[in-house]
Amino acid sequence: MEKQELQLLKGFERDSQWFHNNIDKLRKKNFTGKFVAIANEEPIASDKNIDVVIKTLEKEDKNPAYIFIEFVYPKGFTLLL
Amino acid sequence: MKIPLQVYLFAGGLRAMARFLISSEKPHIFGSIEAIVDTGSPTTILGVPDLKRMRVSQIQLRDLESRKEPHAYGGGQLKTKILQGAKLRFGEYFECVMPIQIPVDEITACNQPTILGVDFMEVNKLKFVFDPIKREAYFESSEQQNI
Repeated sequence: MEKQELQLLKGFERDSQWFHNNIDKLRKKNFTGKFVAIANEEPIASDKNIDVVIKTLEKEDKNPAYIFIEFVYPKGFTLLL
Repeated sequence: MKIPLQVYLFAGGLRAMARFLISSEKPHIFGSIEAIVDTGSPTTILGVPDLKRMRVSQIQLRDLESRKEPHAYGGGQLKTKILQGAKLRFGEYFECVMPIQIPVDEITACNQPTILGVDFMEVNKLKFVFDPIKREAYFESSEQQNI
C-alpha cells in the first residue's frame, strides 16, 4: 500500500510540474478561466466548473482524488491569499 | 531533515508549493494535494476544489467540530470545521498528523487553493526557507523523524 501511495504522489507531482511548466501553452489553447485535469502530462478534461471536470473523470473510471486539477488563471491576474 | 518544495510563478507571483498525500479515517479522506505555503496564514485550510476532488460531502463533515470564528480568505469570509486527525505525508521525507480546517457549504463556489499555514510549521517544528531568486524553497527541521 505504501509503495502504491508513493507512486500516486509521484504521478501527481509529475503532472503538477507539467501544468506549471506549460501554463502559457494552456492559456494559448483556450484553457484560461477553466479548471484543467492533467494526467500523464496532458490535459484530459476541462471546464469552468470543477464539478463538470470531476464528473467527466468519473465517467472514465478515473479517481479525481489522485488527479492533478488546477484553475488556469488569466495572465496578469494576482491571487491574494 | 529537509522537505523540498517547488517554486512556481502561479496566479500572479512566485509561490512555494508543497505536494503531499492527505488521509483521514473518519471522515474517510484520501487524495493528493498541492498546497501553497503561506506564512501569512496561521492555519492550514483545505481548498474547496481539493475537497471536491476527494468527494468529501458536507454530510460526512457534520460530526466534526465547527470553528466558531470565520476565516478571512480570498477577500471573503469562510466558515470551517476542524478535522483533528489529518495525516499529511510528504513522499519519503516526512509525515505528520495535525488538525486542518475544512470549508463548509456556504463557500462551495470558492476557487482558492489549499493553504499550508504557520500551524504546520509550528506543530512540526519546521523552518521555512524561500529563495525567490534561485527559485528554491524547503522546510527544514533539526529533529529526526522516522516514518
